[in-house]
Amino acid sequence: MIEVENLTKRYGEVAAVKGVSFTAQPGQVTGFLGPNGAGKTTTMRMLTGYMPPTSGSAKVAGFDVFDQSMQVRQRVGYLAESVPLYRDMTARGYLIYVGEIRGIRNVGRRADEVLDRVGLIDRAHSRIRTLSKGMRQRVGLAQALLHNPPVLILDEPTIGLDPYQVLELRSLVRDLGRDHTLLFSTHILSEAEQVCDKVVIINQGEITAQGSPAELRRDMARGGRILMRVEGDAETAAGIVRELPGVESAVVDPILDGGIVITPSGVNSDPRTAIAETIVGKGIKLVELRPLAVNLEEIFLEFTRQQAVNEIAAEADEKRKNDESDEESA
Amino acid sequence: MSVMTDQPHQSHVLSQDVKMGGSAPFWAVFKRELGLYFRSPVAYAIAFAMLFFLGVLFNGYLSQALNAQAGVIADAGYMPFLLTFLLFLIAPLLTMRLLAEEAREGTLEVLMTLPMHEGQFIIGKFLAAWAYYTVLLLLTLVHFFVLQSLGTPDLGQTFGAYLGAWLYGGAVIAVCMIWTAVTEDQIIAAFLSAATVLVLYLADVAALFITNTNPQLAEFVRELGLSAHYGSTMSAGIIRLEDILYFVFMIIGALFITTRIVETRRWRA
Repeated sequence: MIEVENLTKRYGEVAAVKGVSFTAQPGQVTGFLGPNGAGKTTTMRMLTGYMPPTSGSAKVAGFDVFDQSMQVRQRVGYLAESVPLYRDMTARGYLIYVGEIRGIRNVGRRADEVLDRVGLIDRAHSRIRTLSKGMRQRVGLAQALLHNPPVLILDEPTIGLDPYQVLELRSLVRDLGRDHTLLFSTHILSEAEQVCDKVVIINQGEITAQGSPAELRRDMARGGRILMRVEGDAETAAGIVRELPGVESAVVDPILDGGIVITPSGVNSDPRTAIAETIVGKGIKLVELRPLAVNLEEIFLEFTRQQAVNEIAAEADEKRKNDESDEESA
Repeated sequence: MSVMTDQPHQSHVLSQDVKMGGSAPFWAVFKRELGLYFRSPVAYAIAFAMLFFLGVLFNGYLSQALNAQAGVIADAGYMPFLLTFLLFLIAPLLTMRLLAEEAREGTLEVLMTLPMHEGQFIIGKFLAAWAYYTVLLLLTLVHFFVLQSLGTPDLGQTFGAYLGAWLYGGAVIAVCMIWTAVTEDQIIAAFLSAATVLVLYLADVAALFITNTNPQLAEFVRELGLSAHYGSTMSAGIIRLEDILYFVFMIIGALFITTRIVETRRWRA
């Protein structure tokens, strides 16, 4: 169990994490999703006791990360983003070293067990420098599992792996999620959707949305924006849709590869039927018409780029109004 | 659930059986670091260079002493004294890697999320470097045995000289630990360490310059330096409590400072 409340980390003037709150439940994989530099690593470092928060609190396995750091550390397995390892040690030697620091007495057998768990037992006596990136990642994961912690925190565990290794690691993460509280970070949206029971979206140090992938999808669909694709000139189609009742705006969005993002005017209005009829009636071929956010990628863009998209929309509206007034004066 | 048998465990099933309560964390750190010294070619190069250098000087000393009267061959404190002088080179080489490398490689991040206080980690590293130095010091005993076969070195003086050289080494290594905690760059750590040790070594010379203008300050500076507590006292077999306390407090103080530096570096990271 991880409970984070209003957690903030400042570096001088700059706030890397601003008032973040979320929980991660046992038996679930919680995905921490955000672009690079969003504050994922900083948050995780605070949760593992590596650095203290500026303000706010966080409890891991029932212990406060600041006041009871040692108790937290005993109960957390942490895989750091860059997977720092001692290159001259063997995989097994490294695990034994970490295990001895942790005070595990049957450390040799535990090392063998976790190496077996991550599928690395046949390379137990290889020096870490000779191991591939994927294998090193697994050594790091074995280190996190060594003391059988109830909480696992994995910082971008799939970064730098080849596609096959990524698949392997994801299934391992899903597997581990069943009997751990597992928090893992990623900037890959499809990964979060595949692996996580719950997704926490963080951007510029703030949480923009959280929930299960299905919940997020539902939230976005309700009164949400609509994506339309047509064959031919998107601008013309957007112009037609704009004139319809119940439509607040219709903008061609370069992020979505020329799709038209339509914002309904009311929360409960669904102008899709009207749009479809009008577009088809004008002889334009309709390719796609659906709620905008149906996969995490779009949910993510919706939440993190809302501001940017709104700006673009406002700009377009402005331009349209100018055009209209020009026409009127002409 | 506990799996106490020797049966091979099932694949992909973790036994939940983790037995806690092993030895203190610093012991694991100490063992690893000491092992690294004895597996690294640098450590052997240091030992070789030291023995070679001391051997040449000892040879010169010996031939001089043999030409003089037999009674002169009694100073077994000469070799540990020379070794303490060489510490301005040896100690930085031994310590520069200890913390700088962990910081640069990022392994410090993992260690600092283990249930271990910074102090344990730093003490483990310090003790390993000191233990390696102890081995170097014991190697110089070979000269003592040569002296013993030729004359009668004073055992009390020899003991004092070796005890002093041992504490001296500990203090210098502890001071060098500060610099390896400050920077991620090993070369910078080594350079600053060597400079610091030289300054401490030459404090009594500096004191000479100001002894006429400000005798009290001069005395203070002299007492701060390493030489005042070894060269003229322990090295000659005079064991004074104040000298022992000087070295012990220097070790404790330097390790305390090192610990705080590592702490604050982590907090800023």
